[in-house]
Amino acid sequence: MIAWILFHLFVFPGMLFTGVLGLLVGWLDRKVSAWFQFRVGPPLFQNFNDFFKLLGKETIIVKSAVKSVFVVAPLAAFAVLTLIATIIGLALFYNEGFAGDMFVVMYLTMTFSVMVILGGSSTGNVYSSIGAGREMKLLLADELAFILVFLVPIVKSGYQVQFDQILAYQQNAGAIIGSPSGIIAFIVGILCIQAKMTLAPFHIPEAETELVDGPFMEYSGPLLAFWKLDHYMMYVIFPFLLVLLFLGGFNLTGIGILWSVLKYVGIVVVMIIIKNTNPRIRIDTALNFFWKYASPLAFIGVILAVLGV
Amino acid sequence: MQINELILLIAVPLIVAVINIFLPVILRKVLNFLSLAYLLFLSYQLFRFGAVSVSLYDQVLFNVDKLSIFILVFIQILSFIILIFSLKGVEKNIEKAFFILYPLTVGFCNGVIVSVHSLSLLIFWGLTGITLYLFAILGNSKDAPDSAKKTMVVVGGSDVFLILGLILIWFLNPSKDWQLFNGSIQLNGWVPYIAFFGLLIAAFAKAGGFPLHSWVPDFSKDSPVESVAFLPASLDKLLGIYLLARIVLSIFKLPPVMYLIIITLGALTVITAVMMAMIQHNGRKLLGYHAVSQVGYMIMGVGSGSVLAIMGGLFHMVNHTIYKSNLFLSLGSVEKQTGTNNLDELGGLGSKMPITFVTALIGAFAISGIPPFNGFYSKWMIYQGILDLAKGSSAGFQIWLLICLILAIFGSALTLASFMKFIHAIFLGRRPEKLDNIQKAPANQWIATGILATLCIVFGLFAMQIPIKHFIRPIINEYGLEVPVMLGYYNPTLVLLLFGSVLLLGLLIYWGVRKVRFDEIYLGGMDALEHFRVTGTEFYNEIRNMKPLKGIYNGAEKKYFDIYDVGSKCSFSITRFFKAIHNGQLQLYNLWIVLGMLILLWVVL
Repeated sequence: MIAWILFHLFVFPGMLFTGVLGLLVGWLDRKVSAWFQFRVGPPLFQNFNDFFKLLGKETIIVKSAVKSVFVVAPLAAFAVLTLIATIIGLALFYNEGFAGDMFVVMYLTMTFSVMVILGGSSTGNVYSSIGAGREMKLLLADELAFILVFLVPIVKSGYQVQFDQILAYQQNAGAIIGSPSGIIAFIVGILCIQAKMTLAPFHIPEAETELVDGPFMEYSGPLLAFWKLDHYMMYVIFPFLLVLLFLGGFNLTGIGILWSVLKYVGIVVVMIIIKNTNPRIRIDTALNFFWKYASPLAFIGVILAVLGV
Repeated sequence: MQINELILLIAVPLIVAVINIFLPVILRKVLNFLSLAYLLFLSYQLFRFGAVSVSLYDQVLFNVDKLSIFILVFIQILSFIILIFSLKGVEKNIEKAFFILYPLTVGFCNGVIVSVHSLSLLIFWGLTGITLYLFAILGNSKDAPDSAKKTMVVVGGSDVFLILGLILIWFLNPSKDWQLFNGSIQLNGWVPYIAFFGLLIAAFAKAGGFPLHSWVPDFSKDSPVESVAFLPASLDKLLGIYLLARIVLSIFKLPPVMYLIIITLGALTVITAVMMAMIQHNGRKLLGYHAVSQVGYMIMGVGSGSVLAIMGGLFHMVNHTIYKSNLFLSLGSVEKQTGTNNLDELGGLGSKMPITFVTALIGAFAISGIPPFNGFYSKWMIYQGILDLAKGSSAGFQIWLLICLILAIFGSALTLASFMKFIHAIFLGRRPEKLDNIQKAPANQWIATGILATLCIVFGLFAMQIPIKHFIRPIINEYGLEVPVMLGYYNPTLVLLLFGSVLLLGLLIYWGVRKVRFDEIYLGGMDALEHFRVTGTEFYNEIRNMKPLKGIYNGAEKKYFDIYDVGSKCSFSITRFFKAIHNGQLQLYNLWIVLGMLILLWVVL
């Protein structure tokens, strides 16, 4: 039993799988982005090279920082993401409810942002602090819509909150995206995960040109490597979450494999396209967008779901 | 009348309070400590063996069931822990009064909980309000008398409604001889409704539910910090939610619409208070607004009519008392070391006061509902209860309940936001140079906050095995309710173990490859002057200035939504009218007399 759990946590679908797939998809991101800008882009294993090179570099810690928080934050964020990946992956690949339900995952995704904020603001750097503040505001912006997006599958499946039961519901009654409420929630969901991953147009906390990577500004060496890895892992976790909630999960037999890959890559490519075709918006614009447009839209989705549409 | 545990629970602290009047401060502390330790032991006895009821003139005065034992145990635990904190650090000029009021309050609170007779409940309830007022006037700030007055008016004023409610309950069923909790009153006709709302108002005012919450932030800002952790953060929550639980479980039988109204009030409490908390610059006031917003979850849970949510609500009440007193006391430690609770003037204390930082961080995680801390578990149960309720409802009810649920979940994201600001402003970010020589908090203070932080973790990890199994499930069983199957699935120990093992692996990797160099802050070549300090209090200015929130915030700052302020303005405008017509002219006075006479005649005839 313990070996089974440890295998899932550290190998598949947890740490190793998510990390490797994330770095590979990160390559896809960089390659497609390069094509958008008429560049060639990096080779396939560039992200791995970057990661291991950073592991060998020096760690510079600010003298006046709260050092323990500075060191633990990226590693704790990594642990949280691994945990979410394991919970979602076990539901997707093994049809198994494990460790927590949708509420747990909802709160764990917030925990990642908490780590970004704590890590960033532990240094006392003004850019990091501003970035941390923006990270929190961005979380507030997308969280409302994100909750509503979560509620649609819950209502549709007759108030189930466990991932495996939502998957089972979709296997019987068809994918949730097949209904109007499902489509609305899915679209808002993609926007939410764009913001959760701080991809353009929502890379407001990092804002390279004004905040110099915001919360991550003072990070270097292995700790920065873990932040980068965390970022790429989210390329796996959030699309998987959408596949699980709206697209009926993966079917890994015969032609189903192709479909499964298409579902996943499709979501990722949509995210990359949004990322490359939009400039960064201001934080108040993001708040307005999510609170005044995306959330009401998602709420219409919830109402439709209650009405059974 | 026989002396038993129930009487001792009230009598011992009262006697201690009287003896304390004649003792020097050091002996007061010792006596308080010993008596509260004894009360802790007594409550354990009560928990193990129960107690015989106490009667006077053939009327049962005091009795306990599982619910009251649950509350009693936690009153003793919290009073004891907060007393440990108070042993060193209470301001010298109020120390004497503080150690008299402290046991007095414990005694009165115990009195409320063991009372099953309307009159004794009423008397003890009123007395707890008076000690609350007395604690408030011990405050040192210049607003303290105003805050004390406000507290007295809101809490004391709500007692009027409690009296009204209790009298009407007797009026509805005189044969029960003022016994409160045996039997359920159907809500039909206006008399039961008035009685119900009377009691509800009393419970809301005590616990700090919307719209009777406005005394809590002011009390939190101006009173001694120990008393804030002691009363509005802990004991008043226990009392208020206890009364609410009695109202919905033991006194009245509610129709579904009433549950919906209570849930809505709960959701409103959550969201309005947390929005106010976000923009505060004063640490105590920020925590005070959170002491209100968390009540919303309890009201939603206990007043929902769904067994799962009732269990969650009761659990959340206990959790809240633990983490909120922890937060207040941690802030108190900071305040005692630095001399300020203004978030703009603090910062970067994480490396100077590491233990206080960790305890405050655990409190912040717990209140924001980060798994696996205790706050998440109770919120999780409440959410499931609401979903369970929605499951069997019509479409309109479903949408209404879902809106309340969304507000509650989003409320916890906002809670997280304001606590990130709180933690950033006090412990992280850049430290102002004047705080470079700050010392750690004294041992008794971090022992107290440390115990509370440990409880946050233990109650989060072993929620099912300890608090729910030993306290909450027996209550539900005693009421003959069926404990439903959980909708969701959550294993806190597993979550922690998995998280911990990956974190450990990450630390090992870091440990293996690290090459550390220490350096100054990098600002692209500029000097990192104190001028560039971000306090964190300005984090949410965009939200503050967003349409239409800006108008609402402006209104709230002018106290348009403060029932105390609105009420006092109304009553002053009425008295101003009467003052204007009594201008000293005798002819005019004669006219009023004649007019009054005519009106009287018209009414009577």
